[in-house]
Amino acid sequence: MSTNPFPLDRDSLLEAYRRMKTIREFEERLHVDFARGDIPGFVHLYAGEEASGVGIMMHLKDHDRIASTHRGHGHCIAKGVDVKGMMAEIYGKTTGSCGGKGGSMHIADLSKGMMGANGILGAGAPLICGAALAAQKLGHDGVGITFFGDGASNQGTVLESMNLAAVWNLPAIFVVENNGYAESTSVDYAVASDSYVDRATGFGMPGITVDGTDFFAVYEAAGEVIRRAREGAGPTLLECKMIRFYGHFEGDAQTYRAPGENEDNRANRDCLKIFRAKVTEAKVLTNAELDAIDAEVMDLIEESVRQAKSAPLPGPEQLVTDVYVSY
Amino acid sequence: MARMLSIKNAINEAIDQEMSRDPTVVMMGEDIVGGAGTQGEVDAWGGVLGVTKGLYAKHPNQMIDTPLSESAYVGAAIGAAACGLRPIAELMFIDFMGVCLDQIYNQAAKFRYMFGGKAETPVVIRAMCGAGFRAAAQHSQMLTPIFTHIPGLKVVCPSNAYDTKGLLIQAIRDNDPVIFLEHKNLYAAECDVPEEPYAIPFGEAKIAREGKDITIVAYGLMVPNSLAAADILKKEGIDCEVIDLRTLSPIDMDTVIESVESTGRLVCVDEANPRCSIAADVSAVVARDAFRALKGPIGMVTPPHTPVPFSPTLEDLYIPSPARIAEGVRKAMKG
Amino acid sequence: MSKVGIIANPVSARDIRRIISHAGNLPINDRANIVLRMLTGLAAVGVNEVVIMPENGGIRTQLMRTITREARSGAKRFPNVTYLKMPVTCTAEDSAEAARRMHDQGVGAIVVLGGDGTNRVVASHCGNTPIAGVSTGTNNAFPELREPTITGLAVGLAVTRQVPTEHAFAYNKRLEVTVNDQREIALVDVAVVAERYVGARAIWKTDSFRDLFVTFGSPDGIGMSSIVGLLAPVDRLAPEGRRVRLVPLGQAKTRLCAPIAPGLIDLVGIGSVEKILPETIYLPSVSAGTLALDGERELTFSETDDVGIRLQTDAFRTINVPQCMAYAAKHGLLNTEAETMPRAAQ
Repeated sequence: MSTNPFPLDRDSLLEAYRRMKTIREFEERLHVDFARGDIPGFVHLYAGEEASGVGIMMHLKDHDRIASTHRGHGHCIAKGVDVKGMMAEIYGKTTGSCGGKGGSMHIADLSKGMMGANGILGAGAPLICGAALAAQKLGHDGVGITFFGDGASNQGTVLESMNLAAVWNLPAIFVVENNGYAESTSVDYAVASDSYVDRATGFGMPGITVDGTDFFAVYEAAGEVIRRAREGAGPTLLECKMIRFYGHFEGDAQTYRAPGENEDNRANRDCLKIFRAKVTEAKVLTNAELDAIDAEVMDLIEESVRQAKSAPLPGPEQLVTDVYVSY
Repeated sequence: MARMLSIKNAINEAIDQEMSRDPTVVMMGEDIVGGAGTQGEVDAWGGVLGVTKGLYAKHPNQMIDTPLSESAYVGAAIGAAACGLRPIAELMFIDFMGVCLDQIYNQAAKFRYMFGGKAETPVVIRAMCGAGFRAAAQHSQMLTPIFTHIPGLKVVCPSNAYDTKGLLIQAIRDNDPVIFLEHKNLYAAECDVPEEPYAIPFGEAKIAREGKDITIVAYGLMVPNSLAAADILKKEGIDCEVIDLRTLSPIDMDTVIESVESTGRLVCVDEANPRCSIAADVSAVVARDAFRALKGPIGMVTPPHTPVPFSPTLEDLYIPSPARIAEGVRKAMKG
Repeated sequence: MSKVGIIANPVSARDIRRIISHAGNLPINDRANIVLRMLTGLAAVGVNEVVIMPENGGIRTQLMRTITREARSGAKRFPNVTYLKMPVTCTAEDSAEAARRMHDQGVGAIVVLGGDGTNRVVASHCGNTPIAGVSTGTNNAFPELREPTITGLAVGLAVTRQVPTEHAFAYNKRLEVTVNDQREIALVDVAVVAERYVGARAIWKTDSFRDLFVTFGSPDGIGMSSIVGLLAPVDRLAPEGRRVRLVPLGQAKTRLCAPIAPGLIDLVGIGSVEKILPETIYLPSVSAGTLALDGERELTFSETDDVGIRLQTDAFRTINVPQCMAYAAKHGLLNTEAETMPRAAQ
């Protein structure tokens, strides 16, 4: 094997692949189980977007905070939230990350710096300004990263937060996960200036665009942006251009896509395939190693579903608990 | 020896003492310091009515002026609360809640519940409320019912300086999100306030005036207005018991019920608009839980179902005055 | 034929060089204005047809708003503008596709809004169609910093043959890079770096620089070619190039303080500088690494790959703007006497 040309060591590369694969299989399994009617409520799948979340999260520790969107499973898994707890939460069971009280759109784990998936688009941006402010006031080098999509980028909360972060020079990073569609509306329609970078500079921070389907492009760009934020360079906007494999929500017929678009995405813009090709061609990791991770991930997902299905549902006692710390 | 302090200064003192005690208490809001980025004085305002004047000099790292972006900075206060700070966000007027309401009622209020008990959001959102300032419709509302309605929020509305200091200190030390409402027309009201810090627990109403003939339940400016009405009525031989709710969520219905069981009559006075008001809420609970004790129908004295008018004569008609409260009591005594 | 193509790709000037150096980002609004200024120049000297690369980055919207409004008010300061009918991918690939199509349509020239990278992509795919660069990209060593109104005038005079060919065009060198059977070109520089992944594309870690090949490098240039410009300058016309062997600072005999990117001046370790001649194959000095073409990593290679770098002269044509305008002044091309019909399209 030749020496490793990548900016991550072998173990980290394996970890990155494991996280991305875990997200992919978690979402693919939900896609199947949801269609079967096993899962209550709504789910919004991150499949296809893994390189963005993992490329960024590989740089973060538990004291770094992230706020996510309705499409939050990927961010949770990338940030280290327990997968079995997540599955149980989606099934509404007491063993879920939130005791079954939150569901898919509200999975959180504050001990891992995951401030929650959020059903309100753009709501994470102000929260992350707060996390970044707390880091400044408490004197540690944590950063806050808010993920939002091309749709949510138009919410007043996001725009106000960009200004606030620049005014207070916060270690806050605004990640636009631009997958081209806000529900069924194209980014070409909804974003008048068509340029997140221009918006960023308009609000007083730098902005860059990166190919969100290439783990290494995201990893390298995010590394610079995060390092600078830790060192006091203030906020940055990072646009990750990517695709989502599925619809806005499960059940979305996706009639807004061009014919053949989904097939083309799977064939040519699958970030896992792109990653695998790069690391195996460079002879740093082998297909056998990656296949072994694939198998372990499948087992983990299978076990998560099995445990989730057999766990108890909450009862009337849990209905009224945890509204307040004390009342 | 009584130390007389106004509500305005009681607020300032409470924040000062808590900031001295705990460096994680930080406050943010528009012009709470004033003069940011200008070539004039720092601490140019200390709040639009000077409530926070002088705090920046004592606690420069804990007082932060914000741009005009409620959803961003109220949201930031909430996010910071979840990350180890104990923030106070000042909404200049509670009427501005519209532009940041999601952060308050969908985020702060729901984190603990949605995250299965694993989140604490110790944030205080302070705001001015109430009419009588000729500030017109968009700067004069109470809006207490809206926040009271939301599970996960606590709502406080004191009527005097002593309660204000103790309840604000409690709010800052409380580990849940608290909406702390300060009636803008009461800022000058003075009473005896201890110098040392003290905390008044939530969910404890105070009997502001004992009486045997009828119970008046009120909060905020309606407490002094009800006490003035009670003075008028005393001369007519009606002895009113006035209960100051102090906190709307949690609410102390035990004190109210106990009083109604003794007097047999109830008038609820509320400066919020009548539909779904605190008055309606208290009335319904008393009707359910103390029906047999009632000698007559419950009365409610509230503004009409209108926005707050501007013209002074109209605004004065809008607000339940002592005279109108007294009229409401007379009516309830006859029923 | 007096039809001109314009390629203004909004994806240029958006990458990580906004962070690791201080490269500008030229808002969409400004790019639209640059195109408008160029169109006035083209129209004034008789170019009636302009075809533009389509994009979803916002330039088109702003452009057409202005053109439509002016047409409605009766002013005719712009040529007839049409957009290529091609799919838009919002990547550099759009520049390549547009260049191919404009060449197939037989445009007289293609004007490129961008830096070295964008000009490189266009020059790779436009065949023998001449290009004119308007510098709006990140690193602008190749395209000249010039007022676009004047570029429009010069390009217009060139494609309408009011300025004869021998005065209108310049011939340019380029570098050809092959990795096995993959072939790419660079207009200014090819850098070999030790990193073996494309990642965020830009290069800035000087300790990983291993080789630099340039077609030209002037002392007042910006970017990697400045290394040559400050050591052994070579101009755009000389039939030769340069090769610099670069080493980590700890091993270098000479350290050069070079402006390797806008706002980024750093020490580079110099091993040696040599002249390179056309049509000779040169090899990288390392057996594995990445080739950065005109400032961006593009091709990785390892020990088992066949890599070659070759200088080519007279490889493609650009419009020589100062020469066109000098000719126009000398021969009164923009003057009209009372009896003569002006050639300007009014």
